[in-house]
Amino acid sequence: MAVHTEALEYAHHGPMTDEEYVEQRDLRFLGFLMFLFTDSIFFTAYIFAYLYLRSAAPVWPPVGIERPDVNLGAANAIALFGSGITAHYAMTRLKENRLSGYIWFTIATIILGILFLLGQVYEYHAFYHEGVTWAGSTFGASFFTLTGLHGFHVFVGVWFLIATFAQTLAGKYSPSRHFGLTAATLYWHFVDVIWVVLFFLFYIY
Amino acid sequence: MSTDTIEILRRAGAPIHPEPESFVKRYLFSIDHKVIGVQYFIVAGLMILLSGLFAEAIRVQLTQPHNSFLTAQQFNEAFTFHGTLMVWFGAIPLVTGAFGNCVMPLQIGARDVAFPWLNMFSFWTFPPAVLILLSSLAFGAPDAGWTEYPPVSLQAGIGIVFWTTAVFTVGIGATLTGLNFLTTVVKMRAPGMTFTRMPLFVWATGVTSILSLVATTALASALGSLFLSHVFNIPFYDPSRGGTVVLFQHMFWFYSHPAVYIMIIPIFGVISEVIPTFARKPIFGYKLIAYSTVSIALLSFMVWAHHMFTSGLGPWVTLPFMILTMIIGVPTGIKIFSWVATLFGANMRLTTPMLFSLGFLSTFTLGGITGIMLASVPVDWHEHATYFLVAHIHYVLFGGTVMGVLSGLYYWWPKFTGRMMSETLGKWHFWLTFIFFNTTFLPMHLVGLVGMPRRVAYYDPAYHAINLFISINAFILGACFLLLIFNMFWSLKKGPAAGPNPWGARTLEWMISSPPPYYNFKEVPEVYAQPYGYGEPLPYNAPYDQMSTTPTY
Repeated sequence: MAVHTEALEYAHHGPMTDEEYVEQRDLRFLGFLMFLFTDSIFFTAYIFAYLYLRSAAPVWPPVGIERPDVNLGAANAIALFGSGITAHYAMTRLKENRLSGYIWFTIATIILGILFLLGQVYEYHAFYHEGVTWAGSTFGASFFTLTGLHGFHVFVGVWFLIATFAQTLAGKYSPSRHFGLTAATLYWHFVDVIWVVLFFLFYIY
Repeated sequence: MSTDTIEILRRAGAPIHPEPESFVKRYLFSIDHKVIGVQYFIVAGLMILLSGLFAEAIRVQLTQPHNSFLTAQQFNEAFTFHGTLMVWFGAIPLVTGAFGNCVMPLQIGARDVAFPWLNMFSFWTFPPAVLILLSSLAFGAPDAGWTEYPPVSLQAGIGIVFWTTAVFTVGIGATLTGLNFLTTVVKMRAPGMTFTRMPLFVWATGVTSILSLVATTALASALGSLFLSHVFNIPFYDPSRGGTVVLFQHMFWFYSHPAVYIMIIPIFGVISEVIPTFARKPIFGYKLIAYSTVSIALLSFMVWAHHMFTSGLGPWVTLPFMILTMIIGVPTGIKIFSWVATLFGANMRLTTPMLFSLGFLSTFTLGGITGIMLASVPVDWHEHATYFLVAHIHYVLFGGTVMGVLSGLYYWWPKFTGRMMSETLGKWHFWLTFIFFNTTFLPMHLVGLVGMPRRVAYYDPAYHAINLFISINAFILGACFLLLIFNMFWSLKKGPAAGPNPWGARTLEWMISSPPPYYNFKEVPEVYAQPYGYGEPLPYNAPYDQMSTTPTY
């Protein structure tokens, strides 16, 4: 067990050996999983708040507010879940050293992510048009806070994908060394999973 | 570092980041865990002192029933700042950032934490947060207490925005420190150091990191919603628009109850190191102490509503929380018994760190007993928001955390400065602190039981004599810290050289020179057993097995 490496940028000036890379990758992988875990607590707390407010209300959604349009939500969900699938295949292609496959699948992922964001903007616009606002009701407060927080994560995820895409094109990642790309893909799947919960809570439950 | 040294280290399997030459990289934006630990110590120590001044201001006000020293508004601001600074800017950074950073990587035989750069980033969220919080004094300070319950906190001015931003910022650092430490403990232990061979302070730091990871983000969401409520007027906490103020209390205490364990579990670790060292005996019940730490952490997530017994929750909510809260007394009691059993029959060396640990045992136990009292719903209804509660929290946070921090400070000071502190002054410091701590906070139980509410600037003249007594003792207690400060500066200038292992301890940090070299361990240590086997050979490979564990001081 070679446990004594740390951030190797500081340690060496030459390239890492395979052993050092694996050690560094495992550290970062564990750290990144913990980050995702602690991030999920953020959503959990607001979901708790949403359920609490919902159970405290006599009728839900409050009088004068319609439930969000499930068709629009479903279309959005399909875009996001689809992007999860393409992100997975992009990763697989890179591991198989098929760069063109990676490129096309990643572009598809990014486009689907942007489509999701546009769909969300459209939905927000429609809600505000109907007078459902962030400050107007507990429904609006929890809906816009939670979906906004999620939308922010999707936004960050798109940039994460774009950044790792650029890095891949610049030759930073190889079939055996691609931690940054793994992290971006993992983050993207995380954002997907959160949406499963939010979609159920706001559009179906 | 010369190229020769680098070559030695490389052959030994240690990674090298060369010691930086420039002042900025060496002392300000250092990525070395020891420097970052000291940075945390300095900033958090200053915050403790500042917070203490706020406490003294509160006590000055309370010397007279209707004192004009502070206005009611200023009094509210004083106790808000006292609590906020102590919890988030004093205690938590001290026990995790300072002790964790300085000691934990050395105790597991690592070169540094898992992510040194992230560690530096975590620290540098701290000073800006301090500035944000203190700048609120100029713009209408927060005044609803350290818990900042709405609706009161939302009725005040812009101060709450500063407060939420500052605590959020320092919380980011705390979460990332937790992430960093947990990765370090899981992945970077020296060869042979299985989980049950780790020093108990490492257990404590690891478990605290789990608490930070789970709970601090929940606090962030509570703060975020408070911020949004003030800035964008969202109705989470506005009953007139369907919101509910109790929601905030749930979100806040889901963090803040584990937070009290973030403040005390590392101290359990400190005590578990200090007591066997000066009892010269193996610690009693190593596994009991380690696993009870874990069970305290798990239980701490299931008891938050015991802070809210008077908020109008139904009996079907309060009853399970009451029972679970009392159950937490079991693992805590297991620890106390283990420490006492370690002392049983020991030929103790009553040095300053040991005295503070023994002081901790008695005062913390008293705080624990009042905790069990308050866990009982009927008692809590009577005592909630009185000085009894104030006495309880100070017995666990001053009698627990501060006593433990002082114990750890006296214990590890020679390791990180290379010099001893004055034992004579240290013992004076302990006895004065211990006596005046008790004379300050013990009467608060009484004044609370007869009904004096907390957080009031003016009070019934019937409580005058006892409040005056408390205040006078509080001033002396505060002055005791001058002894510590003097001792620290004296030690840095004139203290005798410590040598690598002045206390004759057996954990890995004492196997290297004091202060530790920049690269920590020249050769990767290998570990064969627990560190607490006093009287047995050291469980490390050469050259560490040759170290002397005879106390030199």
